[in-house]
Amino acid sequence: MGAFEEALTGNLPDHCPDHRAVEGSFARVLPAAELPPGAKKAVEIAGKEVLLCHTIDRLFAVSNICSHAQEKLECGRMSKGWIACPVHGARFELATGRAMNPPAKQPIATYPLRVVDGWIEVQVQA
Amino acid sequence: MSVEITERKQSAEGEARCPGAPTTQEIIAADRVAAPGWVRSESYQYLGDEDISTDRYIEPQYARMEMERLWTRTWQFACREEHIPEVGDYYVYDIGPYSLIVTRVAKNEIRAYYNACLHRGTKLRASGTLGNASEFKCSFHGWSWNVDGSNRTVVCPWDFPHVDRKKFSLPQARVELLGGFVFINMDPDAPTLSEYLGPAAKAHIDAWKLEDRYVYLHVSKRLPANWKLAVEAFLEAYHVIQTHPQVAVSNGDANSQYDIYGEHVNRFISTLGVLSPHLYGKHTEQDILEQFTLGDSGSVTGTKRTLDDGRTAREVMAGMFRGMFEKATNTDLSKVSDSELLDCFSYTVFPSLFLFPGISLPMVYRFRPDPKDHRACIYEVLFLRPVPVDGKRPEPAEPVHLRDEQSFKEAEGMDPGFGAILDQDTDNLFLQQEGIEASAKRGLTLGNYQEIRVRHFERSVEKYVAMPPKRPDWERSRKR
Repeated sequence: MGAFEEALTGNLPDHCPDHRAVEGSFARVLPAAELPPGAKKAVEIAGKEVLLCHTIDRLFAVSNICSHAQEKLECGRMSKGWIACPVHGARFELATGRAMNPPAKQPIATYPLRVVDGWIEVQVQA
Repeated sequence: MSVEITERKQSAEGEARCPGAPTTQEIIAADRVAAPGWVRSESYQYLGDEDISTDRYIEPQYARMEMERLWTRTWQFACREEHIPEVGDYYVYDIGPYSLIVTRVAKNEIRAYYNACLHRGTKLRASGTLGNASEFKCSFHGWSWNVDGSNRTVVCPWDFPHVDRKKFSLPQARVELLGGFVFINMDPDAPTLSEYLGPAAKAHIDAWKLEDRYVYLHVSKRLPANWKLAVEAFLEAYHVIQTHPQVAVSNGDANSQYDIYGEHVNRFISTLGVLSPHLYGKHTEQDILEQFTLGDSGSVTGTKRTLDDGRTAREVMAGMFRGMFEKATNTDLSKVSDSELLDCFSYTVFPSLFLFPGISLPMVYRFRPDPKDHRACIYEVLFLRPVPVDGKRPEPAEPVHLRDEQSFKEAEGMDPGFGAILDQDTDNLFLQQEGIEASAKRGLTLGNYQEIRVRHFERSVEKYVAMPPKRPDWERSRKR
């Protein structure tokens, strides 16, 4: 059982159930030191293909699958706040998932991300 | 004292200059840090005084001829090298119906592929986009091309025995690099970029080392006027006293210098930190200092501007700007002249590119016709800053696309004073477009000196439009 599943299934203390429910849904996925600025890494969390992106100044977690033709985004070019699909060239805003240009129209999923104790943690709803 | 230029007797056509005012060269010669040779030269030529016919701004047929004859033959700024730093990086450059994928195919080689699948013509990349590719795959049926342009995939090749994949490489336009700019030309018979610019202008551009700058601001906006009217709005300082009265207090507008170089390059030098000849006797040196407008003022705003005894506003501003800009941007400007720091140097490379190599006014402009409306155009302004002395090149700024009704002041990163100037410039344009269409007079009347760049520009337009149509040639562009 991975950290994510453990977090979801762990018993919550009676005094603070709601807080623990939100906190517990974050999965610990990668030491932050392994994702320097300019780096990307594809991971699988709860059956979803997630792409971790570290731009020049910020970390993001987005779906690794392009909304246009279901190609993987992981080899695409990442720049200030966007990633481009390497196959047909659709671009997506990393902060919102918004499709910035054709051939994509639909957004990609984005996931809450935080760094705790030097680890990147991502919240993916099952 | 107001300057009445019309009172002056001309000794010969085009030789009249603003009376009672120092020349641009005289102002610059008095500077503390001396200007280089490219600043301290003149190259004016009288080109006649006939009206410029206005059908070129209003007739759709004229716009069509420009697209078939002018844009397919001229060198155009497509992108900066920093937009495509890695192999496989691409930037789609569009002009009218034409579209090119400008791609870095090797560390020191950039190509421009016609942006269309050789199967059934679908664009391989959407217009106005950029990214990185290991192959250019068509989103329709999946034919694909390697980054070097060679064909990679024909889906179901058994059905295409008539396709020789070796002959199905992506056709290319020509590419040349200069000063960090990637230029393209769709004409296989065009002169080289160096020949196109001519030796004098080429030497100027080489001296600026614009390859050592980076794009720190990029703003685009659609303007409601024919592209040529938009270009011409920026070709002279004659309009400053009326359009930008807030600037005239610190701008030698009527005594600016105008030069032309060959057929494709012209310039003006408009000194800053000096009073407009229109306003002589109405302002003090302290007024000039306080009203000085910088294009890149982010590093000096909020600074108290004080005029010491005996020093001019221009001298004080040069010193202040040099020190504070160096500190704010981690650059070394100790050898840069006062003139290069302060003055407005406006160069055009025909047809669409403006280069401003100064430090305070470090812009690049690009004008392209709106492909769907000949009475509109796309205007872009880029600000370039020197790469920091630690050598780490920042990523180029993401373009900010303003809506038609927005002010340039709303673009994040734009200096508000400069944004106001651009608003003033562009707010005139729809009135001019509509006025030309409404007018009983079918020609524009130009000043011999201050509007020589407009005449020079239009002469080149006329030259290209008089040529036969020249559309991109599949056979010849494949053999590059």
